[in-house]
Amino acid sequence: MANVSIRNIRKSFGSVAIIKGVDVDIDDGEFVILVGPSGCGKSTLLRMIAGLEDITDGEIRIGPRVVNDVPPKDRDIAMVFQNYALYPHMTVADNMAFSLKLKGTPQAEKTKRVQDAAASLGLLPLLDRYPRQLSGGQRQRVAMGRAIVRDPQVFLFDEPLSNLDAKLRVQMRAEIKELHQRLKTTTVYVTHDQIEAMTMADKIVVMHDGIVEQIGAPLELYDRPANRFVAGFIGSPAMNFLDGVLTDGGLRLPSGAVLSLDGQPALPAGSKATYGVRPEHLQIVPAGTPGAIPAEVAVVEPTGSDTTVIAKAEGGNLTIVVRDRVALRPGEAVALQPVARQVHLFDERGQRVAGL
Amino acid sequence: MPVSPKQARTLKHRSWVAFLVIPPIVFMSLFVVYPILSAFAYAFYEWRGLARGEFVGLANFKEVLIGPIMGPVVWNAFLHNVYALVALMIIQNGGGFFLAWLLYKEPFGFRFHRVAVFVPVVLSTIIVGFLWKLFLNPNFGIVNQALFTVGLDSLAKPWLGDASTALGALILANAWHFVGFPTLVYLAGMQRIPSEIIEAARLDGTSEWQLLKNVIWPLVAPSTTILFTLLFIGAFNWFEIPYVMVGLDGSPYGTTDVLGLVFYRTAFGNQSASIQNFGQGSALATLLFLFIVVFASMLTLWLRRREIQF
Repeated sequence: MANVSIRNIRKSFGSVAIIKGVDVDIDDGEFVILVGPSGCGKSTLLRMIAGLEDITDGEIRIGPRVVNDVPPKDRDIAMVFQNYALYPHMTVADNMAFSLKLKGTPQAEKTKRVQDAAASLGLLPLLDRYPRQLSGGQRQRVAMGRAIVRDPQVFLFDEPLSNLDAKLRVQMRAEIKELHQRLKTTTVYVTHDQIEAMTMADKIVVMHDGIVEQIGAPLELYDRPANRFVAGFIGSPAMNFLDGVLTDGGLRLPSGAVLSLDGQPALPAGSKATYGVRPEHLQIVPAGTPGAIPAEVAVVEPTGSDTTVIAKAEGGNLTIVVRDRVALRPGEAVALQPVARQVHLFDERGQRVAGL
Repeated sequence: MPVSPKQARTLKHRSWVAFLVIPPIVFMSLFVVYPILSAFAYAFYEWRGLARGEFVGLANFKEVLIGPIMGPVVWNAFLHNVYALVALMIIQNGGGFFLAWLLYKEPFGFRFHRVAVFVPVVLSTIIVGFLWKLFLNPNFGIVNQALFTVGLDSLAKPWLGDASTALGALILANAWHFVGFPTLVYLAGMQRIPSEIIEAARLDGTSEWQLLKNVIWPLVAPSTTILFTLLFIGAFNWFEIPYVMVGLDGSPYGTTDVLGLVFYRTAFGNQSASIQNFGQGSALATLLFLFIVVFASMLTLWLRRREIQF
């Protein structure tokens, strides 16, 4: 096991800068998730840690060693790929034992390590099968087994669950998390799915357009997003945003309605600002309630455990999630009351405004 | 009886299928099946020039295989075909594999080389044979000229006139001519391998050689089987290059004689001895055809079993 230190990493393909100076510290045994939309550079960063991409500038350390020019095989890492990348001509056992075979590990030890890893992943009955004879979930488990057998200092996962169906994804998510809790190997995991990030990570690195937007624990990112991008990216359904102008004690919307703020924002009155409120922090109150946002119900989506309501209000649609079962009909006039102490405020540049 | 619309549609469909299928069947029957069957039938008769004589049963086959005159010639030629097959498997297909590997790694100018390596394949075999005959000319060919230039005069020899080098020279000329084909097939096979598999192998700790041996080679192996099948057919039908470069007699002293030349000489005669035996020629052609069909079919069946799914 080892810590990983990424210092001012840059990556360009020709004149196109993909990663524009990223700093991340990953502690020994930590489960860190790089999350962001497509094209944000998260997979490129992971591949740079793996040694599969050259580093244009900056420094990556695994443990005390700078690995910029160390070939992948000498970095003591193991990687699990999105499409599994199993060797199609080898059995499950051979796939898992391949790295040990290359190292010249004695047969007895090789067999023991493969058996142990297979047992921990429930792969023992599948050891003689070929990848084509396995389901997607089983293949992904073999890919993980191949990584575990190597007992590396760092595990790298590149969107490992993207090819699985929703149910299997939830199951594998729990398995990977349980695996990490058992092995305590430093793990860097890339995903574009913020639910995966929230549920699995010790620490999330939110990336966007080649830079790091915020690094923090899942709930820290959820409760105190550093900027409007993180606020909109983390959380499902996404946070609602309303643009307006700050007044003393509130935010005035273009229609003249004033939304109250709990606290004193560190921004002068008259400044343009964006009011952010999560769907579960909007309460549906009777139409005409003072201080609430007038709206009209557009869509009601019951999921069983909760209900998502999409309502038309000034400035666009607002999403509300309520735990209770509601008897609302499309077209019905309602009012939406934000929970003032749960509101976020962002300045014109999208940065979080302190004081709330 | 009235025809229902459904029956009318079926009839129309069948007429259309017949219209499409019958012409090629007639064409194939006339120009492929009939000549093959004729050749097969010719082999059972005695021939005087182009005049068919008595039915002789398997006598022609016997003469071709174990007859005192034809037998040794045929087996000598067969041996040369086997040499060519083995040598071309190594040089042409093996060389193609390594060329494909080099191109796969996308070295500087790989696009140019990718085209360059395939250009000889599209040249006419007659042109290639003539070109190599010039290259190997003992007096002014560039091979000997190059040896003279670098001071290796002792190595210069009449490549096509020397019994020890003639067959090898033909094999090399053939390999030069066709190496682009296996290269292209292997390259396509390599490019089909998902890049993650190669990356996973690199992370697993493979050296370049181990990657080639343990990952790339097994994954492109099905290409080898089809290439081997084609080479097998080509090697036993080998005719043009030997004919252009060393003539119908497989000179010097039959050291480059192959079954294609023997067949041609036997069936159609040659300039030096206008002896012609259509029956024995047909018998040889039939045996060669059966030999190729049986082995090529077996290889194809084997190939199907070895296909790899990614």
